[in-house]
Amino acid sequence: MARITRRSLLAGAAGLGALAAAGGLSACGSQTSISSDPKELVLWYWNRSADPKLLAEAAKEIPGSDGYHLRADVLGGTWDTKLRTSLAGNAYIPDLTFINSNVSLYFPNENMFLDLNDLGAQDYKDEYFDWKWQLGVTPTNRFCFFPLDTGPTGFYYRADVVKKAGLDPDPESVGEAIKTWDDYVEFGSKLKKNAGSFIEITANTIFGQYINASPERYFNKAGKPLYMEPSNAIKDAWNVAVKAIKAGVTGNQQNSTDQNAAWTSGKTMGHIEAVWWAQILADTAPDSKGKWRLASQPVRAGNSGGSFVCLPHTCKDPEAGFKFITWLNNAKNQATSFNDVQLFPSAIKSFELGTMKSSTGFFGNQDPLSFFNKAAQQVPTSFISTYETQAAYFSTEITNVEAGKNPDQAWDDAVNQTNKVLRKQGVEV
Amino acid sequence: MSTTEQVAAPVQAGGDTGPTRRTGNRLKKFWPQYVAVAPFYILFLVFGAFPLVFSIYLSFTQWDGMGPQKFVGLAQYRYLITDGRFWNAVENTFIIWFMSTVPMLILALIIAFLLHQNIRFKGFYRVAFFIPNVTSMVAMAIVFGSVFSDSFGLINSAITALGGKEFGWLSDPWGIKITIAVMVIWRWTGYNAILYLAGLQSIPTELYESARVDGASMFSIFTRITVPMLRPVILFTVITSTIGGLSLFTEPQVLLGNDGGTGEAGMTIVLYQYNQAFTQFDFGYGAAIAWALFIIAVIFAIINWRLVSERDTTKPKKSRRNTPAAPTSPEASR
Repeated sequence: MARITRRSLLAGAAGLGALAAAGGLSACGSQTSISSDPKELVLWYWNRSADPKLLAEAAKEIPGSDGYHLRADVLGGTWDTKLRTSLAGNAYIPDLTFINSNVSLYFPNENMFLDLNDLGAQDYKDEYFDWKWQLGVTPTNRFCFFPLDTGPTGFYYRADVVKKAGLDPDPESVGEAIKTWDDYVEFGSKLKKNAGSFIEITANTIFGQYINASPERYFNKAGKPLYMEPSNAIKDAWNVAVKAIKAGVTGNQQNSTDQNAAWTSGKTMGHIEAVWWAQILADTAPDSKGKWRLASQPVRAGNSGGSFVCLPHTCKDPEAGFKFITWLNNAKNQATSFNDVQLFPSAIKSFELGTMKSSTGFFGNQDPLSFFNKAAQQVPTSFISTYETQAAYFSTEITNVEAGKNPDQAWDDAVNQTNKVLRKQGVEV
Repeated sequence: MSTTEQVAAPVQAGGDTGPTRRTGNRLKKFWPQYVAVAPFYILFLVFGAFPLVFSIYLSFTQWDGMGPQKFVGLAQYRYLITDGRFWNAVENTFIIWFMSTVPMLILALIIAFLLHQNIRFKGFYRVAFFIPNVTSMVAMAIVFGSVFSDSFGLINSAITALGGKEFGWLSDPWGIKITIAVMVIWRWTGYNAILYLAGLQSIPTELYESARVDGASMFSIFTRITVPMLRPVILFTVITSTIGGLSLFTEPQVLLGNDGGTGEAGMTIVLYQYNQAFTQFDFGYGAAIAWALFIIAVIFAIINWRLVSERDTTKPKKSRRNTPAAPTSPEASR
């Protein structure tokens, strides 16, 4: 016992120390790629953002690549923070990564992503909805973000409530009755008066979905704010939302418990949202199955959500990565992904294959697939600026109006607050 | 903490040999001890000290967490002073802190006092009151969201059943604050009651007995004996509640999301900091808010310290009055 103590203890401690130092050093000189296998490409995606069957196929070999295979890692939680951290630290960066509909957040650092046009993306441009493709183009006209799924929007409504209000519940006539936003508010007033039901949960939803269906948004490509122009889409959207508030057709249901209960009970009879909401609705309000229908929203359909895939600048083999992207998103595979995990295609040809299975029943006899396919063709091309993150205060203010704030005051506050934040970030306004 | 003291003590006691030799010798002599405490210090340096120092630097920059960091001097702090949203968050934090702490501590004291009596199932009650403190916050948020829901919640159902008018617990500025305060009270009352109970148990029973012999009522026993004797524990809970109140984050975040609800009525300082850093990706400003919070916390620490030291100066007088209890009070606060 006595013989071991000191010396061997010291040796052991020294060994441990050396080990810790080695660990520390290797962390400092860390690798930029996650996998050290030169033939392995690592993809970051989140649950249900890709078809697991296709990922399993690519895990064996990426079709058309020179013996590369895919390792797909699911990342949960704060996606953007994790991706940005790895890019900022220049360590453990995936070779390919998905990014959600907020790609514009990455525009200021677009040089961290490869321009897919250099890899021949132009040849694929015509195969996808142009409005979706354009969302992946940066302000300097580099094409960094390749289309995955899309979110064309429509007006979800409870046919039973419309009938109760003494109106024609048929999707065609509802679509006809809400051709413009003014009609929409008026339709809402009738529902409120005759059936005591709100047409939308919050004014903020109307405000947001108006903008999602508008070719013009908060900023132009040069980063110039448009909401102070004499006539602009944001102010128009604001006015529609204010009109809806004044008519009392929005429910001011701000938390999800209230919202779900409202849709289930019919206290709120409608919602303008993207195709993916059908799944959420079916999960939250299973008892209302068969009562829901889809009608065209006022003016034209918009887009809400839908993600992208891109190649960080450190990608091990951009060519192989691009092979994977185009393979995963060819018309056939996007149709499969729709059937397996309900990702609504961005590839135009997917709809023509006839392999996509539409899940009817929740919408009575109505076919949601053909409805949203039609909607997808109406979505206008628009530009989402990176500064829209800073313009989020408009939403805060329209909610305040719904709670009783003076709309003119709220508008001025929203503009001033947004400009103030933009100025702090060095943007001229 | 005890490890650091053990290491530090021999170093100071080191002795009178030459300065250079001494340091070398000491390093040589005590390096196994240094190695032994190293894991904590390395982790602390990496995950504690470094982010702390780095956030000072960050607060002088404009950084989106990814691109180049731009040095902007005091611009973030200048912006902070004129930022109405920040001051709104400060105001909210104090209102919610006040609305939650005062009823919570009173309630905890009463519960502890009752638990201290000779009642049956004491252990069961103690566990029951402590359970909210270890319940998952996300589950709690769902329950509270349902209970306080505007048109479908239990509370509003009860109010309308009694002929009252629906109240926007989650959409009205005051409703939001009350709901958050109730959530804080629900979560922390049991915890503070357990602390008070520990304090109560160190009060000698002779005091109660003699008071009863003298014919004192329950109420006067409570106000004349229990509360004064518990003073150190009460001060301790006030301090911890102040710290907790200033850093209030989880309750509003799980209940209302990152934007603090309608009119940002539930936006607290830490939630605003989180909002700026992780949804607006403005890390420079997030860091500046963190340091502003630090200054506010320092001010409160000074106030607390003054309160405590004032108590110490009056202690001799007090202890003469309540001789048996004085020595036990510091233990009660731990």
